Amino acid sequence: MSTPLLEVRNLKTHFISRTSRVRAVDGVDFSVERGKVLGIVGESGSGKSMTSLSIMRLVPGPQGQIVDGEILLDGKNLLKLTEREMTNIRGNQIGMIFQEPMTALNPVLKIGEQIGEVLTRHRGMNKAEAKKHAVELLKNVGFPRAEQIVNEYPHQLSGGMRQRAMIAMAMACQPTLLIADEPTTALDVTIQAQVLDLMRELKNRTGTAIILITHDLGVIAEMADDMVVMYGGQVVESGSADSVFEEPLHPYTRALLESIPVIDEERERLTAIPGTVPSAANFPEGCRFADRCSLVESSCREKMPELRELRKGHSVRCTLAV
Amino acid sequence: MASYIVRRLLGLIPTLFVITVIVFLLMHAMPGNAFMALVYNPKVKDPAALIARLEAQNGLNQPLYIQYFDWLRNVFQGNLGMSQSLNEPVSQAIGQALPNTLLLAVTAEVIILLVSIPIGVLQANRANKGFDITTSFIAVLFYSIPGFVFALILLLFFSFKWNILPSTGTVTPGVSYSGSLGDHIIHLVLPAMALALPSLAYYTRLTRGNTLQVIVADFVRTAKAKGLRTPRILFRHVLRNAIIPLVTQFGFDIGGLFGGAIILEEIFTWPGMGELSINATLSHDYPLILGSTLVFAVTVLIGNLIADILLAVSDPRIRYD
Repeated sequence: MSTPLLEVRNLKTHFISRTSRVRAVDGVDFSVERGKVLGIVGESGSGKSMTSLSIMRLVPGPQGQIVDGEILLDGKNLLKLTEREMTNIRGNQIGMIFQEPMTALNPVLKIGEQIGEVLTRHRGMNKAEAKKHAVELLKNVGFPRAEQIVNEYPHQLSGGMRQRAMIAMAMACQPTLLIADEPTTALDVTIQAQVLDLMRELKNRTGTAIILITHDLGVIAEMADDMVVMYGGQVVESGSADSVFEEPLHPYTRALLESIPVIDEERERLTAIPGTVPSAANFPEGCRFADRCSLVESSCREKMPELRELRKGHSVRCTLAV
Repeated sequence: MASYIVRRLLGLIPTLFVITVIVFLLMHAMPGNAFMALVYNPKVKDPAALIARLEAQNGLNQPLYIQYFDWLRNVFQGNLGMSQSLNEPVSQAIGQALPNTLLLAVTAEVIILLVSIPIGVLQANRANKGFDITTSFIAVLFYSIPGFVFALILLLFFSFKWNILPSTGTVTPGVSYSGSLGDHIIHLVLPAMALALPSLAYYTRLTRGNTLQVIVADFVRTAKAKGLRTPRILFRHVLRNAIIPLVTQFGFDIGGLFGGAIILEEIFTWPGMGELSINATLSHDYPLILGSTLVFAVTVLIGNLIADILLAVSDPRIRYD
């Protein structure tokens, strides 16, 4: 088997102030295969967004620091690069799109300029070439009147259109990896499907691998080849999407799947997971899910469970799983 | 946009009407008039008769409202009247003084914007580090000092102690290079600096604050995720947003810079609108007071209009229809 496109090993991103240390990402491992979609799922505060910002080395400083680990892109450790070398990777080899396309686009710059500047920066195009190419990119993401759109401002577009423009921007340099941080969360359901279709189509056409971060298991089921379930800054379960959906091994994953409404099942109420995610400033000693777990035993609270490969390529961080 | 500007310009008329009425009443509330000084002129044999004749000539024996509407009718015919103290048309006196004041104000504004915006952005980018702390301290210090105090300090050092820059006027009289471009420029330096320094400090603070608000925005993170380098992010993505409140403030301040120049023009004996209006007031020269007030009022009102236009130009989300 060839080496994966991206390998994250023991990544730790902490927010350190004089009085506290918030372990937002606390020892995360996963890898992304070339041309595949990795879904990262988890509740708010599970560390999934910080994981993606860590890959881009855009963790908000000075408190936020990557304190340990390796991030290997094509075998090259991104954490060892200088900031200047890293700017050559961002937008070029790794593209990124964000949750809220309204605030993620600059309100006072034309769409054409915002897409074109990626090309002038990484492809050495002049402004006229970049603008021309921006029209092509907009057509590729399904804009009917791309020639006009390049001269328009973000507020003149609808939410779905803005996210398409974001995708065109992130894909401008044909990156090998696209990180999509909750790309559909802020959109209407019908628009969500269109945006997901677009991402899948672009992936098939260009061979770009995707890290898809979401709290929506439906999106993962639709898109992902592999998936990672995060909880409390850690990976609690990882494997191919098929095997995890078929046989969820971690009680948290099972609870997540049970909390999805199913249309043809007659259930009076949805099962919610009791309690909330523990604060990343003071995690409990043992398993971080112990307080909310229905199967909890006293041993769970004593020692942090290791991530174990129980099935081929399917790992879980739970001592009770067999 | 064009129709908006026309509507705004028409809207100025009632405002100007009210301003001139108030100024007209206030100046007539001052005791005496421009001709009273003739009483003390030993060459005038019968001052009372002469004053009465001059007052009648200038319509000062008419009721106030008639005087006002006479003046107003003349203004609409493009005639601002004769200055009673200078013995020349008011329009001519203003025509000579206004370019000097404009030159001073525009020079000061250029200095303010060219210096304060880059400093403010760089301060915000290094917020609470050495560069920010030292320059912010200096900015607050300068902002606390009025322009006329700066004027005196600048004069003390540059003119009197070191004797490298002229202290008065717009040209050096009686030398071969009198009136050359270089001569004009060296005369401009001190008054423009005195006018610019307090505002410069203020604009630096304003730029820093606006930039700090913008620099944490989501689209700045997007710009970083695109691999853009810091100068492009700061001076294109951040500044383009941070400058919006700044240009608005700038428009409002155009009138203020004119007003602020009044005292400085006295100090530097700069023959501009400030000097003209102060002398007009001191000599009770009614037509000249009204004429120069009209110019100041129009400047402030046009400044406000420019502020609104600049806002629409700098922020594509704002449209006037």
